[in-house]
Amino acid sequence: MNKLVVVTGASRGLGLAIVKQLLKHTVIKYDVLAISRSKSDELLQLEEEYSTSDKRLHILNADLLKLNNIQALCTKMVKDYGRPYALINNAALGFDGVLATMHNSQIDELLSVNVQAPILLSKYLLRPMLLNRKGRIINISSIIAKTGFNGLSVYAASKAALEGFSFSLAREVGKAGVTVNCVAPGYMQTDMTQSLQGEKLESVKRRSPLGRLATPDDAASAVLYLLSEEANAITGTVITVDAGSTA
Amino acid sequence: MDIESIIRKTLLEVAEMADCTLVDNIDEHTVLLQSGLDSLGFAMLVAQLEEDLAIDPFSEMEMAVYPRTFGEFVAVYRQSLSQRD
Ligand SMILES: NC(=O)c1ccc[n+]([C@@H]2O[C@H](COP(=O)([O-])OP(=O)(O)OC[C@H]3O[C@@H](n4cnc5c(N)ncnc54)[C@H](OP(=O)(O)O)[C@@H]3O)[C@@H](O)[C@H]2O)c1
Repeated sequence: MNKLVVVTGASRGLGLAIVKQLLKHTVIKYDVLAISRSKSDELLQLEEEYSTSDKRLHILNADLLKLNNIQALCTKMVKDYGRPYALINNAALGFDGVLATMHNSQIDELLSVNVQAPILLSKYLLRPMLLNRKGRIINISSIIAKTGFNGLSVYAASKAALEGFSFSLAREVGKAGVTVNCVAPGYMQTDMTQSLQGEKLESVKRRSPLGRLATPDDAASAVLYLLSEEANAITGTVITVDAGSTA
Repeated sequence: MDIESIIRKTLLEVAEMADCTLVDNIDEHTVLLQSGLDSLGFAMLVAQLEEDLAIDPFSEMEMAVYPRTFGEFVAVYRQSLSQRD
C-alpha cells in the first residue's frame, strides 16, 4: 500500500520540491496530500501528470491561519484519504522587519501560521499515526532558529518554538513508533527570500564553505531521508541543510 | 451497543495495542490514572473513538475538561453524543 504524506505549503518553494521528490521516489510509493491556500500551476500540472499513475497527488486548499478549521480539515483528510504515514509542516510566513515597528497583527499571523498551525496539525494527524503505531512528523525549521538574523526576530522565535516542540513531542510519541524531527535549511532562493538580492546575496554565497547556497531540492532530500525506513532510529533532532554556512 | 460498552471494548483493544495491562473490574469509580492505561494509551483511546464515532468531545468542549474516573469519561462521551443527535 502507498504511504500517504501530508505536505503543507506545497504550492511553491521547498514544499513543491518535497512533493516532486515524493512522487518521483521509486523505492517507496508515496501518495501526497498537498495543502496551501492557492493552487499553483506547477502543482496542477503534477496532479495531471500523476492522474493515471499508481501514485496520487491530492490538492487541498486551506488557509492555515484559520486555526479553528484545522481539526475539521484533519478529520476530512483522514476520512477521505485514510490514515497518513507522515506530516510535513512546511508552510510558513517569513515577514521581515525590525520588531520595534512590526505591526501586532503581523506578529500574530506569523505565530499562528508558523507555530500554532503545525502544533494543531500534529495534534490531530498524530492520532491516526498512534493507531497505526507508525508515523513521521517533520517540521521545517530554519538555521535562523539558532543563529539570529537582523529583522527576523519573530520569525526566529517561531522556528525555535517549532524545534522545542519537536524535541518534547518526540519523547511523547516515540513509544508508539512515531518519530518527530526538524529540517533546518539555510538560505534558499524561493519566493520567501526574494528581498535578499545583489551584493548581500553574493556575500552569503561567498561565506558558505561550499561556495553556494542550499537549494530547495537539497532540503527536500533530507526530508525524504527522514521519511525512509533507514531513518527509523532518528527522532528528536534537527538536520541542518545549509551548504555549511553555520559551520 | 451503548456507549459504555463501546468504550469498554475499545479500551481493551487499545490497552493491548499500547502494551498496557488493565486492572480487573473497571467500574465507574475507577480512577483513570489507576486503570493501567498510560497517557499515550488514553490518547489512542480518544483517537480510536474519534475514528469510530466521529466525535471528539475534548476538542468540542469550550474549556479543558479532564475526567478523573471511568464513569466521568463515559459521561463526557454520552453527553457529546446526545448533543449531536
Ligand atoms: N527560503 C528560505 O531561505 C528558507 C530558509 C530556511 C527555512 N525556510 C523554511 O522553509 C519552508 C518553506 O519556505 P519557502 O521558502 O518554500 O516559502 P515560500 O516560497 O514563501 O512558500 C510558502 C508556502 O507556504 C504556503 N502558505 C503560506 N501561508 C499559508 C497559509 N496561511 N495557509 C496555507 N499555506 C500557506 C504557501 O502557499 P500559498 O501562498 O498558496 O498559501 C507556500 O506554498 C518554511 O517553513 C520556511 O520558513 C525557508
